[in-house]
Formats: sequence, structure tokens, C-alpha cells
Amino acid sequence: MTTGVAISAPPAAAPDAGAVLRRWNAEVAIARRAFTQVRIGAVVCAVAFGGTAASSALSYATTFPTPASRAALVATTRADAGLALLLGPIQSIDTVGGYTVYKCFVFLTTIGAIWALLAATRLLRGEEDGGRWSLVLAGATRPGRATAATLVALGAAIAIVGAGTSVLVALTGRSPDIGLGAVDSVVYGLSIVIAPAVFAAVGAVTSQLGRTRRVASSVGMGVFGVAFVLRMVGDAGRGTRWVLWATPFGWTELMAPFTENDLRPLLPAALCVTVLALAAVNLAARRDVGDGLLSSRDVAPIRPFGLRSPEGLAARLSIPVLVAWCAGATLTGLVLGIIAKITATSVPSMTDMLGRFGVEGAFVNQYLGVAFLLVASVVALLPAGQIGAACDEEVSGRLVHLLVSPTTRRRWFVGHVTITAIAVVAAGLLAGVGTWVGAVSQGVDLDPASTIGAGLNVVPTALVALGIGAVGLSIAPRAASRAVYAVIIWSLLIDLLASMVSSLTWLGHLSLFHYLALAPAQPVELRTIAATLGVALALCALATVRFTRRDIATG
Amino acid sequence: MGAAIRTEQLTKRYGSTTALEALDLEIEEGEVFGYLGPNGAGKSTTIALLLGLIRPTSGGAQIFGLDVWRHAPAVHRRLAYVPSDSNLWPSLTGAEALRFLGAIHGTVDEAYRDELVLRYELVVDKKIRAYSRGNRQKVLLVAAFASRAELLLLDEPTSGLDPLMEQVFRACVHEAHERGQTVLLSSHILSEVEALCDRVAMLRAGRIIETGHLDVLRGLAALRVHAELDGPASDAARFDTIEGVHHVVVDGSTVTCDVTGSMEPLLRVLATAGVTRMTTHEPSLEELFVSHYGDVVGAEP
Repeated sequence: MTTGVAISAPPAAAPDAGAVLRRWNAEVAIARRAFTQVRIGAVVCAVAFGGTAASSALSYATTFPTPASRAALVATTRADAGLALLLGPIQSIDTVGGYTVYKCFVFLTTIGAIWALLAATRLLRGEEDGGRWSLVLAGATRPGRATAATLVALGAAIAIVGAGTSVLVALTGRSPDIGLGAVDSVVYGLSIVIAPAVFAAVGAVTSQLGRTRRVASSVGMGVFGVAFVLRMVGDAGRGTRWVLWATPFGWTELMAPFTENDLRPLLPAALCVTVLALAAVNLAARRDVGDGLLSSRDVAPIRPFGLRSPEGLAARLSIPVLVAWCAGATLTGLVLGIIAKITATSVPSMTDMLGRFGVEGAFVNQYLGVAFLLVASVVALLPAGQIGAACDEEVSGRLVHLLVSPTTRRRWFVGHVTITAIAVVAAGLLAGVGTWVGAVSQGVDLDPASTIGAGLNVVPTALVALGIGAVGLSIAPRAASRAVYAVIIWSLLIDLLASMVSSLTWLGHLSLFHYLALAPAQPVELRTIAATLGVALALCALATVRFTRRDIATG
Repeated sequence: MGAAIRTEQLTKRYGSTTALEALDLEIEEGEVFGYLGPNGAGKSTTIALLLGLIRPTSGGAQIFGLDVWRHAPAVHRRLAYVPSDSNLWPSLTGAEALRFLGAIHGTVDEAYRDELVLRYELVVDKKIRAYSRGNRQKVLLVAAFASRAELLLLDEPTSGLDPLMEQVFRACVHEAHERGQTVLLSSHILSEVEALCDRVAMLRAGRIIETGHLDVLRGLAALRVHAELDGPASDAARFDTIEGVHHVVVDGSTVTCDVTGSMEPLLRVLATAGVTRMTTHEPSLEELFVSHYGDVVGAEP
């Protein structure tokens, strides 16, 4: 091959003889490389966050143009513990700013936190897990300094998210109907980056604990779950409001941008990020490279489970993760079930809001219908992880060991898809059971069959997500799991947007969740279920055929 | 005996890049065949094609008379493969990996496997993630040899092994050969191929540049001549023009060159130049390799 890539421009002729050495600062190089890996995600988040907030403000100003209409909205919505639990800060929805904060709160903080968490574990533990970190550390740096440099890059990426959000909101806010000031927009941007900043730092710490990226991300997701539930508890009523000070989501809420612009919560946020970042840097400096504080034993007797067939091994390797997903789905159901008690007692106001999602009937059922949308997103994200693991199996070269045995490609592929499908069904079922148990524990009388049925109702949609991932795996394995994440997040955003802005209802058709009946509030049509299952099956079949024909990455 | 491996005009292109160009290869059953080439020459591509992991752009390949793409599972039942990049499941122990690899292959000589574990000094109750690269490679070698497969496809199998273990590996290949197993050994270590193989093919930039018995390859090569003169040999061109002489290097009073065919024309010139000392030797495969690839390694033919 004669085609060459210029690594750097040839040095100018040196006045004296000898090699011309260009000197780099190692940490600067590390930070630049880390930033390159996250900058696109940061820009996408910035545009998505700013765009969502701006469109919320716009839609509020057009839907509720007069003080009278806003007063009516407040009368029907405010002081509703159920809505506050589900969607967060509800106090100031009679203003454009207050409503914007409220509408975007849950989705933007959740997406921001998960994005930053996964980015941190990818840049720190993922690089180490993949063996590239030792190469970096062979340079003129030390583990602590390299970790700090990576965190600076993450900080820069998060700053892009904050700045982008602020600018887009400020630009929209210049319209006199909306009237959001520049300072307000900056405060809003700051409130939005609290969750990503804290969870990037959390990811940095969990990257020191777990020995693999998967463990680091899973522990981080556990922290996310606790923080999320704490926020819900804080929003449950006046008596528990102080709990908001104990969670990053609470800090964002307490800042109340546009209305109160309270900057005090930035203090615990900054403190938390600093402490976590310092902890991560210190832990990185103290531990052995390649090791984690939660490392398990390296010597073990034979465990014969799963060693007889490719499916067996796939099951053995994924069972810990799948059990975690199922536990997560059960817990989500449990929390939603427990909250059903509160919504059951504070009925009238939420009906109008829920009506926008098209749900009808008894109020508890309406609430559950929308709540199961949350379950659906959790269950639909399960295939993304599994598809990612299958891709990793291939690009790492481990799949080759299976495919050079008499195992056919079809068998391996179908085996993986089937295990994931079984996990999806189990997660849906357990979410339903969890919801029922949660509700019953609070004395809310729910029909077990319809509640568990509502849990199972999310399965076909999640299987379509699996089908999309499978097609991705069969065409471009490296992009497959990202495709699933993208489709789910897109679907959620679109669903949210279509429910808020009446002129955008048509957009809802482009969401996966559009084809999901919000059971138990909406009747489940067997025809829709069959069609959804059919689409999932067709996608999986197409993927299987495609996979048997393409070249395999050989490591 | 028939052909274990036969390829016909086997070609693989990625866009405008040609990884393998019209490969015609025939490897007899029971043969130990060396497949030589520098990095990026197309050795691993050939093996991936033979394993049916990637699809040929044109041409085809058969193993034991079966098409490698269409009958992949049947072909795989009769072969074992060791890649150069030894990635295994980090959470399994060595023993678990061996058991799994044996189970999915379908055949395993357990007594021989246990013997190999001892010979390779493999600690099998350790998890793969705690293994060094060489130890991971040993797991794959033990699994492949213990399968007693009729055909062994070994893609730079000794990468990461220390010299002692390389001796164990060579012994295993000899044993496989004695049992009548066919071995395709892809390598860029010429001494390894020289020690183990009956026949070799040399690959460069996706094309076979030489095939034959080791003797044939050596016969193709020149004799390396090293001469010391009694005065400075200032004029290299004087040697360059001699019939059958090439690669002339003049350094002060020493002259080094390769000679093909008759030595007589060179000897005549050297005699008039006043030679004080002269040595000749048959080039090793290493030198042969260098004279073929020389400074154009990785360049398009």
C-alpha cells in the first residue's frame, strides 16, 4: 500500500542538525482525545435540550396566551401531588418559564444524567477495560493526572450542553410573547447541567470500583435510581420536601429557574462534583491499573453451567445483567404502584393532563396508563444492552471461536435474540407484578390481571426495539446498540412533544410508543398487539438472514 | 491422498483495496504447509475466507472437497483454528474455556488435553482475565490440538509464547503431522516455518509470489558472497554489471553481493581486484524473505 496518511506536517528545516522533537503535554493530549470522543454527544444533547425547552416555552405561549387561561391551568393542575411526583416542579406553571421547567424537567435531567454517566464510564473504565488506558499511561503522565485530564474534557462537554441550552432558550425567549431573559436562560442552563455534572463524577468514581465498563455503568445506574426515587419522595408532599436537598435532581428543581432563580443549590452541586471528582482522581492514583476496588477472585473451581452449548454460555454470561434489568423493572413497577395510592386520593386535576395522552376511565387506571409508558421505556432499553454485548462478542474476536465450530451463524444469532426476548417478557411481567404489589401494599384495590396484563402489554414494543437492534447488528454491529438507544429516546421525546403541542400530533406517528396502548387506561387491541409482534418478528427474521450472509469481524 | 484445502482464484476486495488477489492454492492431506508473509499481506484474510467468516469477492475455496461458505458447519467439524489474537471470555477460568471449546467443537481427546495442559504448564483454575497473552494463546493451542481435528488452521499461533513454549508447540505440530493431520501454519517467523513445514507459499500484498518445497525456494535464491579486497573497492558499478550478480554493497574494502547461476564471471573480476578473503553461504529463509520483500514491504506489487 502506498497510500499514506500524514500524521503531522513535516517539520520545518531545523537550523541545526538532528531530529526536531515536537513537545506535547501528555495531559493536554489525553484531554483532547477524550473530548473528541464525547463532543458529538454533547452537541446533540445541547441542541436536543435547548430545542425541547424552547419548543415547550413556545407551545405554552400559544396554548395559554391569556392570564385567564393560565389561571385555569393552574386551578386544574397545581397542588397535585401525583403530577409533582411524576414530572417534578409544578409550582409556577402559570408562567412561561415555570411551565417550561416543569415540562422538561424529568426528561432532560434523566437523559443528561445517563448520557454523562455512560460517557464517563466509557472514557475511564471502557478505555482501561479495552487495554488502551495502559498505552496512555505509558506516556509522560500518571493515572491520577490522566483521570483528571479526562474529567476536564467531560467538564468541557457538559459546559457545551449548558451553554447550548442557555443560548437556544435565550434566543426563543426574545420573543415578547415568551419573554425569557438572558440571565434567566443562563440560570436554566446551569440547572440543567447539574445532573450531567454529578453523574459524570459518579461515573468517574464507579469506574474506579468496577473492573469492567459494564459493572461501572451498572453501579452508576444504581446510584441514578436512588437519586431518582429520592427526588420523587421529595416531591411527595410538604413534609418530605427537604429530601430534595439530598439528590442532584432535587437541586435542579430547587433552583426554580425563570421564577425564583435560586442559586443556592449550586453550592451542594459544586461540592458534590468536586468531592466525587477528587475521590475518583485519588482512587485512580492509588489502585493498580486494570484492577478495581470491587474486584473478585481470579482463581475459581469449574462451574459447569452453560459450558455445553453456545446458548448456554450466552445465558451464563448475560444472566447477571438480565437479573439486574428484571430487578430494575420490578422496582420501577413497585414505586409506580406505591405512588398510585397518592394519585388515587388527589384525583380531579390530573385528568386533564392525562387526557392529552388519550387515556380515559377510572383515574388510577389513567395514571397507570401513563406510568406504564415509563415501564415501556425501561423494558425497551433492555435489548440495547444485550445487542451491545453481542456486538462486543463479535468485534473482540470471541465470536470467531463459536463460528469456527460446527455452530451455525443462524443458531448463535437466534440464540442471542431469543435470550433477550425471554428477558424482555420477564421484565414486562415483573413490572406488572411489582406495580400490583406496590399498589396493594398501600391499600389501592387493583385488578391483578389487568395490571399484570399492562406490564405484558409493553413487551411487543420492546421486542420491536430488539428487532431494530438485531437489524443493526446484522448490518453495522458497532452502531447497533446506539441505534436502539436513539430510537427509544427519539420515541420518548416525540411522544412528549406530540402530547404537548396539538399541531405536532402527526409527529407522534413516528414514535414507537404511539403504537402502544396505554393499558390499563386504554383498551388493548389484539390486532395492534399482533401487528407489533409481527413487525418485531419480521425485523428479527430479516436480521437473521442478513447476519448469515455478511462478513464477520475477526477481531 | 486428496487435497485438504483447494482455492481457485480466491479474491477478496474491500472497496478499492484488494486484500487477496486470485489465490490458487492446493494443500495435500497430511501436509504441514507454511504460509509466509509480512503483516498485512493477506494471510489472515485467507484464513478468514477458508473459515467462511468472510465471503469471497470472487473465486472459491474447498476444504476436504466441501465449499467453505455453503458447508461451513460440516467443514468446521473437521478443523480447528487458532487465531493470533487470543481473546477469550474474561470471566471464565482456563479449565472452563477448554471445556466449552471442546463441547462446541464436538470432539475432544480428554487424556491428550490433560497432557497438553501439563506440557504447556497452564494453570487452568485461573480466570482468563488474569492470564497473560501467552497463557491465553496456550488455552487456544491446547483446545485445538486436543480436538484431534483433521485440519489445523494456525494463524501466527506462537505470538506471545516464550521460546520454551515455542518448542512445545513445535513438538505438538510434529505429533499432529505424524498422526496424519494437515496443518496450515501462517507465520512471519521464518525459522518456525523452516523447522516445521514441508512446503511453503509466500504472500505479498495479497498475491502469492512463490510456492514450493523449502528446497525449491532455496534453489530460487542466490548465493550470498562476502569478499574482502586488498585495497578499497571504490567502483561498485564494476560489480553491478557482472552477469548474475545483484544487490551489490561496497563498504571500504569489502564487497557483499548475491549471485545466481554460475560464479565464474564474479570470480574472474574478484581475482583481478585482489581478493584476500571470500566467504559464501546459502541464504536462510530469513534472508530469502528479505531479498523478496526487501525495502518494499507493504508496497503494492
